[in-house]
Amino acid sequence: MAYTLELDRIRKTFDEFVAVDDLSFQIREGEIFGLLGPNGAGKTSSIRMMIGITVPDSGRILAFGEPLSRRTLERVGYLPEERGLYKRMSVLENLVFLACLKGLSPSESERRARRWLERLELGGWAKSKLEELSKGMQQKVQFIAAVLHEPGFMILDEPFSGLDPASSVVLKDVLLDLKKQGKTILFSTHRMDTVERLCDSICLVNHGRSVLEGNLREVKARYGRSSVQLEYEGELPLLKDPTLVSGSNDFGNYVELRLAAGADSQRVLAEAMKSSTVRRFELVEPSLEEIFIDTVEKTKVEKVNIEKTGAVTHA
Amino acid sequence: MRNVWLILRREYLVRVRTKAFVLFTVLLPLLMGSAVLLPTKLAIHTSSTRRVAIVTSDAKLGAAVRGELEEMRMSEEDDAARKLKNSPSTGQKADKPAFVVRVEDKPSDALKEQLSGELRDNKLDGFLWIAPDAMTSRKAVYYSRNGSDFVEANQVSRGLRIALSEEQLSARGVQTAEAKKLLGPVDVDTVKVDKSGSNKSNGMGAFFLPFALLMMIYVTVLTYGLYVMRSVIEEKSSRVVEVLLGSVTPFELMAGKILGVAAVGLTQISIWMLAAAAMGAGAMAMVGDLMKDAHLEPAVKFLFPVYFLLGYLTYACLYAAIGAIVNSDEEAQQLQFPVTIPLIACMVVATSVIRDPNTQMAFWFSMFPLTSPIIMFVRATVSMPPMWQIVVSITLSLVTLYGLVWLTSRIYRVGILMYGKRPTLPEILKWIRYT
Repeated sequence: MAYTLELDRIRKTFDEFVAVDDLSFQIREGEIFGLLGPNGAGKTSSIRMMIGITVPDSGRILAFGEPLSRRTLERVGYLPEERGLYKRMSVLENLVFLACLKGLSPSESERRARRWLERLELGGWAKSKLEELSKGMQQKVQFIAAVLHEPGFMILDEPFSGLDPASSVVLKDVLLDLKKQGKTILFSTHRMDTVERLCDSICLVNHGRSVLEGNLREVKARYGRSSVQLEYEGELPLLKDPTLVSGSNDFGNYVELRLAAGADSQRVLAEAMKSSTVRRFELVEPSLEEIFIDTVEKTKVEKVNIEKTGAVTHA
Repeated sequence: MRNVWLILRREYLVRVRTKAFVLFTVLLPLLMGSAVLLPTKLAIHTSSTRRVAIVTSDAKLGAAVRGELEEMRMSEEDDAARKLKNSPSTGQKADKPAFVVRVEDKPSDALKEQLSGELRDNKLDGFLWIAPDAMTSRKAVYYSRNGSDFVEANQVSRGLRIALSEEQLSARGVQTAEAKKLLGPVDVDTVKVDKSGSNKSNGMGAFFLPFALLMMIYVTVLTYGLYVMRSVIEEKSSRVVEVLLGSVTPFELMAGKILGVAAVGLTQISIWMLAAAAMGAGAMAMVGDLMKDAHLEPAVKFLFPVYFLLGYLTYACLYAAIGAIVNSDEEAQQLQFPVTIPLIACMVVATSVIRDPNTQMAFWFSMFPLTSPIIMFVRATVSMPPMWQIVVSITLSLVTLYGLVWLTSRIYRVGILMYGKRPTLPEILKWIRYT
């Protein structure tokens, strides 16, 4: 299977601060790929190298099987985490300008922009100045800017931020539609629920390194059904028993706990029934959030002194 | 190249469409125009022919003074104004007689009362009281409603002086015609001597025009340099730059931006030039006279765009670098001061350079690349420096510009992606070394 994007041992340092360290992963053609990681893990630095804004100190990046060049970059769309549009220009002018920079003609840009605006329910706003739009609407415009030139590969940094649930559904449908058309999408996000619903593969980075990667189902299977979701009333002293539980996450309505190595799930149930009324007891694959927190905790290494490097890149 | 063009066009259109641009472009010529035209118009409007009376027991003297005053024309009202305006341009109105004179030859207290009454009732604008001993004391009193009109008082006293002198001269046997000739005005013209020969020039114009052109370069370089800086800061703080850099190189972005703002500047200057041309005879004649007075060599017209562009591009690069380094307009305030110092220095030395364009100081200021676009141009407007000096200054300026473009594009490239704390100088030096 062909890869849309390949990162091969890339490394980027800013003075002594290592932003990306020996990072490798591949994104298959036509898949939705989740790039995850806590704040400052090196996600934005990696993305900037993928779209040619910065160049890695070492390592290799291939897009569509070729080294990055202006020509390959025209087939890449980018949605930055923060709004990156001209506030005092109209929605349409913003879109046409950015699409022209990607090589489209002005008339074709406008035709496509209008079609997309209709699709995302912004048809009446084409002539409005960007600053007159709400945050969520601006986010949609930003999304259109990323897909207007029909790129084969889209990099979307937190595409759902600021969207209301209805708009989120519209955007999700658009993304799935793009996937159906064979486009490749890279997601960078903190929102694990979105990733679980949409992504085929993930890569979790921390301190510039990949700490977990692969097909989402395989990753979760690797953890096995080693988690328990428990809905209860009363007390649960067993959560503090390290021979049974290695970690837990209270979601309010229920608690999700990870079984300690070699612990028997039936003993946990028995213990729980002693101290509380159990409403629901389910053995599950750990949620991605569990895996995320668990992995990040495990890979916590010595914190790099960011202050020392002076100006911090936006991560 | 297409990308540079697209960025240039956006930068241009966005700026030209703003209300600020339209206002500034329209208001400035209006302001300048009214500053030039209004005083002239007002001066002509308020000065109508004045009715004066001359009181003297010496009928002959009275007639002589009357003759002198009635010969005076509106256009002679002020020697300095006449020189600046060059009488023909002020129009026909100016050729009206300045005074209507009547002579009273029986001085008495009653007459004085009567004339004062007429003065109060606005039937008279003033009266000249010549005492009988005036011939020896050379003293007289001029009564008028408006004691502060020194022009009017000056003319009256000139008329009296000439009449008195004529009478005394004729008493010594000098013919009246000859006396008139002797007492006629003296004109001192300044003549500028340069390689192309000598040309009549006027001190006012020779000073005023270089200064006006100097101000024009200074103001435009500063204004448009700041435009570039703000534009960089805006793109940086709105994060548009991250999207743009997925499509264009930092160098294309910077080049498009600087050229786009330059296009805005040239548009504005062209509009002003056209406005000046359309402003009407008065202003044009005045500017035209000054041009003639200052006697610009033809080369100066060619040097203006050259030095404007050199100056603008040099400072636009510096301002672009500042914009890339800082995060906000407030931070930029502190950093832009050092960049402005050479410009301010230019303004400080400009006056002395115009007066004497060939001093050591003028020479070095016209060689130093950050001041040469302004000072060398000023020198050229006053008196053309040797060709080798112009060539050296332009060459130095171009070499510096090339270096600056290289340097600032490297600072820009790193700076526009850096947020947070403002970098220190060693950090900026490190950026320049990044690959």
